[in-house]
Amino acid sequence: MLNRLEFAGIKSRLKDYIVLFFGLIMSSAIFYMFESLATNKAFIKANARQITGAGFIFLFGAILLTIITLVYVFYANSFLMSMRRHDYGLFMMLGAKQSKIGQLILVETMVIGTIASVIGTLVGWGLTATVGPFLMSRMIGTKLQHFNAFYLPAVLITIALYLVLFLIAGVINRFALTKTSVMQLLKGDSQPNRTVLKPISQLAQVGIGIALLTLGYYAMSHIQKFALSAIPIGLVTIVLGTYFLFNAIFVWLILLLKRSGWSNRGLNAFTLSQLSFRIHNYTKILSVVSILIALSLGAITVGIGMQRQVTALSTASSPYTMAIKNPSRKTSQLIDQLALDTKVTYQQKETNKVIYYRADQLKKQPVQFTGFKPLLDSNRRNRLASPKYRSLTSTQLKQHPEKLMVLQPNAPQKTFRLVSRTVFNKVPGQSQRLTLFRVKNLQAEKTRLKRIVASMGSPAVETIPGTYGTFVLGTVLFGGLEFMGFFLGIAFLAMLASCLMFKILSGAASDKRRYEMLNKVGARQSQLRGSIAREILVLFALPAIVGIVHVLFGLQMFKVLMLNPYYQIWLPFTIFFVLYMIYYIITVRLYDHIVLPKLTIDK
Amino acid sequence: MTLNPVVSVRDLHKTYGRTGEKQYEALKGISFDVTADEFVGIMGASGSGKTTLLNILATLDEPTSGEVEINQQVLANLKGNQIADFRAKQVGFIFQDFNLLENLTNYENIALPLSLQNISRKKAQPEVQRVAKQLNIETILEKYPTEISGGQKQRVAAARALVSHPAILFGDEPTGALDSNSARDLLEMLSAVNHDQQVPILLVTHDPFSASYCQRILFIKDGKISQEIRRGSQSQQQFYQAILDTLGTFD
Repeated sequence: MLNRLEFAGIKSRLKDYIVLFFGLIMSSAIFYMFESLATNKAFIKANARQITGAGFIFLFGAILLTIITLVYVFYANSFLMSMRRHDYGLFMMLGAKQSKIGQLILVETMVIGTIASVIGTLVGWGLTATVGPFLMSRMIGTKLQHFNAFYLPAVLITIALYLVLFLIAGVINRFALTKTSVMQLLKGDSQPNRTVLKPISQLAQVGIGIALLTLGYYAMSHIQKFALSAIPIGLVTIVLGTYFLFNAIFVWLILLLKRSGWSNRGLNAFTLSQLSFRIHNYTKILSVVSILIALSLGAITVGIGMQRQVTALSTASSPYTMAIKNPSRKTSQLIDQLALDTKVTYQQKETNKVIYYRADQLKKQPVQFTGFKPLLDSNRRNRLASPKYRSLTSTQLKQHPEKLMVLQPNAPQKTFRLVSRTVFNKVPGQSQRLTLFRVKNLQAEKTRLKRIVASMGSPAVETIPGTYGTFVLGTVLFGGLEFMGFFLGIAFLAMLASCLMFKILSGAASDKRRYEMLNKVGARQSQLRGSIAREILVLFALPAIVGIVHVLFGLQMFKVLMLNPYYQIWLPFTIFFVLYMIYYIITVRLYDHIVLPKLTIDK
Repeated sequence: MTLNPVVSVRDLHKTYGRTGEKQYEALKGISFDVTADEFVGIMGASGSGKTTLLNILATLDEPTSGEVEINQQVLANLKGNQIADFRAKQVGFIFQDFNLLENLTNYENIALPLSLQNISRKKAQPEVQRVAKQLNIETILEKYPTEISGGQKQRVAAARALVSHPAILFGDEPTGALDSNSARDLLEMLSAVNHDQQVPILLVTHDPFSASYCQRILFIKDGKISQEIRRGSQSQQQFYQAILDTLGTFD
């Protein structure tokens, strides 16, 4: 009988359960996707050359992801319990034994966990098979070896982890619910938090918070001094600092707003009270979320930054994209299709020891060089300097013949000589053509450049002088890092946003009554919606702002690795913002759906 | 009786359940008027339809057929935001379980209907003070609903219902959750409001003592008005007895 009641309870809240399932499925799918890469030994071994420190990065990522998953399952579970509290209270009031209720809770949690993790693994398999190669080909340009979408150990790890987590969650639920009195289950927690201003304690918290944050930021920006210990120091101090700041400033801010005239308009007073009602509940998750935001945003930024760095480094490595000796007609045609900055062809003759060039040609179209200028713009520190190209005069060229010799394919150990046209014609041997060109945008032309290499009979890119070789090698090297960073970033983001979403939705059930009351008192639907949207916006925006500040400071750590970690930082931030907004909108929609009364109430 | 009716109900029907399914008719043609000076009680057994009637009058529910006019406005003509605004401006509602928002102070609870209409703090404050004084709750305005007694909660709820000068006050068993002293206080206060400010009150109750404060009582049975008694010149005690007698014959 109870089983039937239980099932009826689930049916009546099917939509909420679908949300729960969807979240859990996505979470386990992401976890599987990651594990299928991280645990695949053959894959890591085969790509170790390409992905520097892959094993360590994957392990680190897997640990972080497990921790987040733990937090996530915990919040998803509290959402589940918030839906069921009332039903269980009712069953107990009707005389169901505690042990029976405990059994029901455990079974329900486990059933949901099992179904979600199995479906999630399947979805993860599908995603890995479709999205994985796509991401990799976009980033690395080639397929990674031994990459299998289906990898049994990953399947087992994913399902095992989720089952264990749900078992723990079920036991905790069972314990918590059977310890709660029936009245509490039925009435829910409706105790308000009186927001009291304790100036001294709050000032102290602000002080401690700022001190901890400063210490953390300092450690991260002086990573050379602190070496690896900067990371744990930073994590601990920043987590605690964020918590104290949230605790102190948030309460203050709400009280301030409450006293202003703003709170008397529409439902603002209610919205503020809702926030202060929650804030003690929320400071912990908001601090955690802000740290996670920093981690995921940092991962995406560094990942993308690495890729950019490759372009910047290779662009600065040589004045020309490629130097080609005696290009075939097909190769020349392909070169002409490129968006070129400059292109020049010199005649040269090669003897055993000497290469001859025509002085008149070199005077008419001088060779360019980049020189060893600092890569960072000295005036505008936040941008990479675009390389300056200068022409070499004949005298300079005679002093630095290597500037031209370096553009010789296969870099022969030969002397260089500038001669007049008449002398050149008398030199024995075949006249050769050396074509040098520079494209406007290396990244944009990479497919055409690849075709040019193919038209030359696919020599190893290292043997072609110019920026392209550096670019290709760098892409392979850093592409793996970018892939990791991007993947981890998105995974973190998805999980943390879902955590926040479930935390907020867990409160929705107890809010339902309040919105019903407001409706009866005469609040318009638009006012109710506005109040919800604003309240959730604050809960989403606060950790985002703090998280962004953390990232901006945290990127200091990467100064050791990267030329300028802040270069074009808007791109990862935009990606992040868009994804985060989607989560925000979904949360508001779901919340509306749970709490907003229909226009007429059937009693 | 030269007063125009504030509430006018004509042939109200309410059927639950969709056509084709098993239907249940909660109201089977109810008609009555309430004028500005009246304190009207509605009595009936559970399931007689009295709560349905009150919900329709308060625009919380829609009738299947029939017409309700409150303060010269036909409820059926109101749409969307107009319904919400109507609730905020024209109707005061006191519920059995108070329906106070426990995360707002009592002051904020009372001021809520005003701030919903975007009335400035300067204009709202004297209004809140006025009702608070009238209901003798000035000292608890800064407390939260969980920090005061049930009787005080209901006074706060009554203050919230009165703050926007409603055309009519509805009470749905307002004394149901109160002890007898608090109930007596509240009812006396409601009578005073009705008498002094000419705010008509419609009280749904099954408690004969509460009903004895009314001037007229409509008895509802199986979705219809089966009987109507007036207090006239009777004392409250006599009227109470009359109600008990009516209930006794009322099966």
